[in-house]
Amino acid sequence: MTDAELARAARDGSDAAFARIVARHQGAVRSFLRRMCAGGREDADDLAQEVFLAAWANLGRLRELSGLRAWLLGIAWRKAQDRIRRGVRTAARETAWSQQVVSPLGISAEDRIALAQAMAGLSPVVRACIALCVADGWSHAEAAQALSLPIGTVKSHVARGRARLLAALGGPDDT
Amino acid sequence: MTPEEKLQHLFAAAAAPARDPVFEAETALRVARRRAVASAAASIPLVVAGAALLWLLRPMIADLNLSVLNGAEVTAAAGVLATGAALVVARQVLRG
Repeated sequence: MTDAELARAARDGSDAAFARIVARHQGAVRSFLRRMCAGGREDADDLAQEVFLAAWANLGRLRELSGLRAWLLGIAWRKAQDRIRRGVRTAARETAWSQQVVSPLGISAEDRIALAQAMAGLSPVVRACIALCVADGWSHAEAAQALSLPIGTVKSHVARGRARLLAALGGPDDT
Repeated sequence: MTPEEKLQHLFAAAAAPARDPVFEAETALRVARRRAVASAAASIPLVVAGAALLWLLRPMIADLNLSVLNGAEVTAAAGVLATGAALVVARQVLRG
């Protein structure tokens, strides 16, 4: 079933359809929130559940059913902003990020920590653009839709954020 | 390994799994709880309306002069009605 068909069925009250929506999109929502929020994986996953609860309660407001993924990430983005505004400190974010990531083979702990610190140093909106476009491979257009930003803004945020992350990992700093 | 490759590898390592039955089950449970609360909340206006209707009808019921009923029987009848109403609400909650 397509996202639109699942969204329509869930809107009509099908729990099975909503469960399939959760199964299909939980990875994207949780990955995004893990990159956005402080407090570790548990907090991010708890926030992800709130995202799906909000989605369940507001499915009737979803106009473009085929845009379900962007709509879900839009909810996640607003919830992440709320969480960040509620006083998450940068130091806590750095610690949480570095604890979440297990160094892949061939990558040093220093690189892992450098990336964590560089991510923490980005503004939330730049981090969101990086999380979607660089980490998860979204198109600029889809990220712009999810984050309610002009596509040009997304492109510039991605370019600037990527340059800062690459510089932190030993690449040229062209910012 | 280039910085670009390091970046992609580190991001991939932090990604959530594509399937996670535990997360999906926990989310379904929270949705079910939310639905139960919503169902119970939705029945509140009916209960209030029913109580108000009974209150409005109280003079008429009193005028019937049901001498057959004494205080204990009225209490028992009210208890049966209250239990029935509670069962209806509980059924809605459990169904959610």
